[in-house]
Amino acid sequence: MNEIPFSTSLQKLKNELSRNIRRSAYVYRVDCGGCNGCEIEIFAAISPVFDAERFGIKIVASPRHADILLCTGAMTRAMRVPALRAYEAAPDPKIVISYGACGCTGGIFHDLYCVWGGTDKILPVDVYIPGCPPTPAATIYGFAVALGLLGQKLQRHDHEEQADEFVAVAHPTIPHDLRINVEREARRMAGYREGYAIAQKFFGLLGAAEAGSVEERVERFASSENDPRVTEVMRRLGDVFTGRPDVSS
Amino acid sequence: MFKLLREVVRGRGETVRYPFAPLEVNPDFRGRPEHKAEDCIACAACTIACPANALRMETDVEAGTRVWSISYGRCIFCGRCEEVCPTHAITLTPDFELAVLDKKDLVRTATFALAPCVSCGTPFAPRKEIDYVIALTEKAASAPELPELMDSRRRLIATCPACKRTQEAIKIGSFEKPGARGR
Repeated sequence: MNEIPFSTSLQKLKNELSRNIRRSAYVYRVDCGGCNGCEIEIFAAISPVFDAERFGIKIVASPRHADILLCTGAMTRAMRVPALRAYEAAPDPKIVISYGACGCTGGIFHDLYCVWGGTDKILPVDVYIPGCPPTPAATIYGFAVALGLLGQKLQRHDHEEQADEFVAVAHPTIPHDLRINVEREARRMAGYREGYAIAQKFFGLLGAAEAGSVEERVERFASSENDPRVTEVMRRLGDVFTGRPDVSS
Repeated sequence: MFKLLREVVRGRGETVRYPFAPLEVNPDFRGRPEHKAEDCIACAACTIACPANALRMETDVEAGTRVWSISYGRCIFCGRCEEVCPTHAITLTPDFELAVLDKKDLVRTATFALAPCVSCGTPFAPRKEIDYVIALTEKAASAPELPELMDSRRRLIATCPACKRTQEAIKIGSFEKPGARGR
């Protein structure tokens, strides 16, 4: 969205603002129509475990006391005018933070009938904190970026395909349908993420330098593994690989 | 007041040291999705699976490119893209420090080249996807196939759907009509 042009004196004040409020930032929350997940994470950031108040970040009850407007939730049609009123009530110069996926872009509700989009459809935004919801640590990091204490880590990156890029089939020495069966069984037993990791560990066992049958290798792995669930999955994968039927269920 | 000071001194230090020390998160923490474009075949499985439309795939037939892009602003960190990727090119990392000052820093793109159909020459599928499918077909062949058969399979994979339909129609049209031999 195009930046709303500020007068030069206001722009100068905005540039000084983060320096002036670095150790004492008054934040007013504007919930533009979210699911309250972001609210809960903000309260968690204020709680003693993450303690945003040790940095001087204080939640205030009125937009007239605010330095920072923390806009959560997607901009719904019901909250368009109240959000504008809160923005007009907050004294200049101020920082507007778009909190959460819904605040940044409308998030998962971006194409809903009552949602304008992100906060930047209605208000000029200075800092975007993505997340669904952003964790309390991500919230504190976002405030640090807004106050100029930390630099942003994320940068835009565009990759161009090189002419020699080629994706090889994984594990070329293992027969294809056996590999698929092992990966499917691992996924069935342990979920997509852990199942993939355990299946890769299993294939690593197969390729290990020490000799031995599949059962011997699995038992050798089991003797050094602490987690009995991983051991159970590995034993079952060994059975699948050698073709033994499933007698456990 | 002394009671407060006594509580402060006796406190066990519940507050985490972040941001002065790195925050320890679970290894399965659902943070920023990281896309390795070298491992990507531009099949768009992640784009179909994404519930928030954070992933986009724009195909430009005239330019012969397919552009994958992700917007971390729309991402809900659900992990469905990681679940469906056939080459494990996109995975969720434990990175949660994503705040930016400029919205365009929330976008990442990767451009892939489309391969032309061997029959009609119009670009129809990413070159990397066709190469990967050919490699999978060769790997999955259960017995050493005749070279001509594998060659015709490779040609079929690199043919666009319209030409495949035309070739099938021609093949069916060239079959003998039933009962022709009897007459």
